Amino acid sequence: MPALLWSLMKKELLALARDPHGLAALFLMPLMFIVVMSLALKDVYAPSQASLPYAVQSRDDGELATSLIRQWQRGHGAPQALPADWPERLRSGRLKYVLVLGPGLSEELAQPTLPTTARIQLLTDPAIDGNLFNALRSELGGLAGELKARHALSDTDAPPPPPNASMMALVQAERQAAHSGPRPTSVQQNVPAWLVFGMFFVIASLASLFVQERASGTLARLRSLGVPHAALLASKALPYLGVNAVQAALMLAVGVWLMPRLGGDALSLTGIRWGALLLALGSIAAAAVGLALVLACAVRTHAQAAATGPILNVLMAAVGGIMVPKFVMPAAMQRLAEWSPMNWGLEALLAVLLRGGGVAAVLPHAARLGLFASAMLLLAWFLFRKTAP
Amino acid sequence: MLTLDQLSHRYPRARAAALDRVSLTAERGSVLGLLGPNGAGKTTLISHLAGTLPVQQGEIRVDGQPLQQVRAQAPGRIAVAPQEYAFYPMLSVRENLACFGAVSRLRGARLQGRIESCLAFAKLEGHADVRAERLSGGLKRRLNLAIALLPDPELVLFDEPTVGVDPQSRAFLLDAIRSLARERGAAVIYTSHYMEEIEAIAERVVILDQGRVIRQGPLEALLAEGGPVLTLSAPGADTALLARFGELRDDGPRLRLRLAAGNTPASVLAALDAAGTPARQAEFGRGNLEQLFMSLTHRSLRDDA
Repeated sequence: MPALLWSLMKKELLALARDPHGLAALFLMPLMFIVVMSLALKDVYAPSQASLPYAVQSRDDGELATSLIRQWQRGHGAPQALPADWPERLRSGRLKYVLVLGPGLSEELAQPTLPTTARIQLLTDPAIDGNLFNALRSELGGLAGELKARHALSDTDAPPPPPNASMMALVQAERQAAHSGPRPTSVQQNVPAWLVFGMFFVIASLASLFVQERASGTLARLRSLGVPHAALLASKALPYLGVNAVQAALMLAVGVWLMPRLGGDALSLTGIRWGALLLALGSIAAAAVGLALVLACAVRTHAQAAATGPILNVLMAAVGGIMVPKFVMPAAMQRLAEWSPMNWGLEALLAVLLRGGGVAAVLPHAARLGLFASAMLLLAWFLFRKTAP
Repeated sequence: MLTLDQLSHRYPRARAAALDRVSLTAERGSVLGLLGPNGAGKTTLISHLAGTLPVQQGEIRVDGQPLQQVRAQAPGRIAVAPQEYAFYPMLSVRENLACFGAVSRLRGARLQGRIESCLAFAKLEGHADVRAERLSGGLKRRLNLAIALLPDPELVLFDEPTVGVDPQSRAFLLDAIRSLARERGAAVIYTSHYMEEIEAIAERVVILDQGRVIRQGPLEALLAEGGPVLTLSAPGADTALLARFGELRDDGPRLRLRLAAGNTPASVLAALDAAGTPARQAEFGRGNLEQLFMSLTHRSLRDDA
């Protein structure tokens, strides 16, 4: 049996090695996604607002309005000179925002009361990100509030505040990573996401050769030579578990070594619990290969295999938080995401790579993936017995 | 060697049986030709022998043992060369043979020996390292044959093994299959739509139609069954004139005249000459399987059932 199984597995690996499209889908595509998405989203976890081009139109020459502009420049760099056609530039996105300081702003900031009338306008590019829009508005309000507070304090007998004192000093904000765990970066987020996506792409590759074997009578020939159903299924599953292992090693290596050379952040594996990582990867591979076997046994033609596999993959990725992070989804979509095996895989990897979790943290996700894999294997066995010669 | 006794099979929800009480035998050292139009039951019969369909009714025995038992003990004793190119196109000829050889439970030196032997038998030595997808149709057929012979089977079933090949490859395949029976002593079952192929290599013939054996026996005996038939090509011939000599049948470009007692081919040809419509071609003395099949079923062998 081992020699028979090995020869069938060898055939499977040779077939894959000679299929450039299959290799590209399994290895190159997720690798490209990791590189491109990590570089594109590099600043999402450490946004730099200083690089946004902006301009100021000040209709108030008072001291406090001038001070507000000075303070704003410290965090956002110098503004561009206000062009005559600034509304048009704003609409076309060449200017990201314009601060319009209305007359009476300095007077308003000097009053020891809360304002009831807008004196500052924040006008932005219509395509500006919603979170960034809110951040700019909040920062502007906070800055104006601080200037008003400083002015009010200067009118009292209280001692002047120390040079580094600020309302911002009141708030300490940080992402809670494990003590020795990695810092959240786009690479740390993207490697798990696209690794899971790539691992599930075995669906299309595995089904393709299976359909060919069935259509050409090769499967019937193997059966007539007395090859058991179990050996045929195992000869499909085991090589693709190996493919998943190579994918994982390659994607992690890309994150660790290639990304820093391309100007991105490096994937940090410092403090990672390796046992937990292996458990997460093993359970994802089992689920992906199980699903691939079901699809391979269910489809009848190359056209069905070529369409169904990628469609299923992209849908699971869209629903499962691979393409759009789950935390930005509305509640209903987040509940739906919890039904996607890709989401279980992603959460398992994030638990290890982002949160520094151990086996206990991965176990709930791995258990779901394991149950899913078992169900898929049973279904594949049933379908194969029913349809194979 | 192989005995089918009253074998019947009906597919789920099918109105008619695919095989209806089929009985036949195949002997070592002999080629059994299996003839029948599409839907006659050939594929169902082959699927049974390949072990991919269970026996519902009747028996299949190999040297007195039930087929299922033989297949469980030594599946390589019976090999099937299917009509399709049943191998891996992306693997080379040698890789395909190595894969199917290992699947046939051949190991080590025995496996290598069988690979070389089958490469030589199918004259594929010069193509051993070529990927199967790059072979011509004829070479692909030879690879199909070589794979079937890997386990050195005692019974080989060929299902339309010459479909889509050039005349040279067809001649080579027929010679090779004939030598399997006559020189290596294998029992061969050969199915084909090509009557001339069956006539060229089979010693015995079984004619299947609609799941039943409608005639079987030695080839020569079946060919002699047609009786005194004169096949003619005579443009413009008066059919009423010809009908006076026996039973006339118009097969398109040719006329088939079963001569009534007392009539001879010479008298027919003389009458055609006298009528000014001389025969351009005439054949007499030996029927063929196609004629026999048509006389039995009133249909052509290549008609869809």
